[in-house]
Amino acid sequence: MSTIAETARLGQARRRASIDGWRWGGRIFLIFMLLYTALPMIWMLLTSIKSGFAAMQFPPQWWPDQPTLASYQKLLDPQNSVGQDFLRFFWNSLFVSTATTILSVIVAVPAAYAFSRFTFPGRNFLFFAVLLRNMFPAVIFLVPLFILMRAIGLVNTHGSLILTYLTFGLPLAIWLLKGFYDNIPVQLEQAARIDGATRFQAFVLIVMPLSAPGIIATAIYSFIGAWNEYIYAYTFLSKNEQLTLPVGIQRFFSENTTDFPGLMAASFMMSVPVVVLFLVLQRYFVRALTEGAVKH
Amino acid sequence: MTIVAGKTGARRRLRPLPGKIWEHRADYAYVLPAIAVMLIVIAYPIYYTIELSFFNTPPGLQLRDKIFVGFGNYTAILTSPVFWKVTSNTLIWTLASTFISFVLGFACALALHREFVGRGVLRAILIIPWVISAVAASYIWKWIYHSDFGIIGAVLVGLGLADRPPNFIDSVSTVLPSLIVVNIWREFPFAMIMMMAGLQTVPEQLLRAAKVDGANAWQRFWHVTFPHLRNVSTVTILLLAVANFNSFIIPWIMTGGGPSNASHIWITHIYELAFGRQRWGVASAYSVLLFLILMTLGYFYVRALSGNERKDAGA
Repeated sequence: MSTIAETARLGQARRRASIDGWRWGGRIFLIFMLLYTALPMIWMLLTSIKSGFAAMQFPPQWWPDQPTLASYQKLLDPQNSVGQDFLRFFWNSLFVSTATTILSVIVAVPAAYAFSRFTFPGRNFLFFAVLLRNMFPAVIFLVPLFILMRAIGLVNTHGSLILTYLTFGLPLAIWLLKGFYDNIPVQLEQAARIDGATRFQAFVLIVMPLSAPGIIATAIYSFIGAWNEYIYAYTFLSKNEQLTLPVGIQRFFSENTTDFPGLMAASFMMSVPVVVLFLVLQRYFVRALTEGAVKH
Repeated sequence: MTIVAGKTGARRRLRPLPGKIWEHRADYAYVLPAIAVMLIVIAYPIYYTIELSFFNTPPGLQLRDKIFVGFGNYTAILTSPVFWKVTSNTLIWTLASTFISFVLGFACALALHREFVGRGVLRAILIIPWVISAVAASYIWKWIYHSDFGIIGAVLVGLGLADRPPNFIDSVSTVLPSLIVVNIWREFPFAMIMMMAGLQTVPEQLLRAAKVDGANAWQRFWHVTFPHLRNVSTVTILLLAVANFNSFIIPWIMTGGGPSNASHIWITHIYELAFGRQRWGVASAYSVLLFLILMTLGYFYVRALSGNERKDAGA
């Protein structure tokens, strides 16, 4: 009798110990990952508030002796040439990314809806063709696209970037949105149509609001992709006043190879818009992935 | 009218194709904008790349004065030692980045699955590297790895582990692993988000039932959670593999492929051949080879995705 009770108790204790082991392992692992993720970003911030001289010391000043916002002031001051360039690059990036985002929502929503609702010959082929776009690296398309853009007169315009960025946002956008539409019962639309709505009204009034999280996720994805894109911008644009931030920063750095505080400040400011956007809207993004992409 | 109604599809399938296409003409209007953009930006470039891969374009020559060389570019590539060096770099880069990112991301998703104080904040911080630009990430890490003022070197010296700061990205033996660390830093959050989304679909009842039956944490994970996530895992790994295979920014900005090709991967090499040395023909031939490899990967990607579709249809 007593031995059975004892074994049971022992087993329980062992089980609890092993669960605690997993839990502690998980915590330690998360702390490690937090350090891996955050320390580089903290070091970026700390460097950005040093003077150029203070950054170039060995051993480094872990905490800046004389913190200064000079780098930020320089970048944001429209009076000097560095600030002028930076603000212009920032504006260019904002314009290109916003235009890309709006256009990709306009294009992706009907396409995803059709892929979800209709059967037409070639539907599967077209769907996978769209998805396959993501398999190919930008470099494959660079030369021919450059020639194409030159032929239609888009080289050195932001239009060339917007058109190109559209295509790499689209596949995931369509895929995500299709998952959403698959989960919205057809009966809802049918009910609206019986009540006298046209197909278009049913779509705008019933389906669109229900798929809002998917549309928001799509928009975030396109915006971030366009904001961070580098290769096409690097190849298609050569005029200084048209550069977007990633290329602009690279050019800035190749001219000022030792201004690490300035570079870190620029990297930080380039990251702020997308990080803020993502943090504010991230729950839509995770939800969209859960409902759209994963829960098939 | 054209809304899928299950059984009527069988009757429709008997009609001849042109009639079917005509009948569904209105449906194409919805996908037309997407397809048009895709055709311009994808189909044409692919055709042009294949054509160019059979030509030689000596530097200084206009592209239209190209010289036909048949498979010359391909044999030149496959017999050059640089090709094998770059290929092995690409393999190491892709496999290591994909595998480690996936494992770290999955582990984070599991560790974050349980509710605890500060979970949301932690999750948000872990995702940030994935959101910021790869150009910014490259510069941040370039500064961290800096051979004179880099923080890692300073820490190693401070702890007495090194006499002087090591040269992380200027040395042939350490450059590739150093860049992989940066790449993983940027990529594991993607695996984490995907797996977190996947974990939410694992039915809680099954886990509880397994617990009642005496399964321990590892057994519950291995026999219940993991099989449930097979599809998500496949898609995530394939997407990571493709993204890594196609990476460009991190090696390009941090090292430009150097020192002595030690961090050149396929894409940076192609870019350099095309835009640096103007050898468009060879670069195109490289692209075509790359294309074939990616199509193979793409086949598995589509199969993994249509596996989902089939299950969807069955449910």
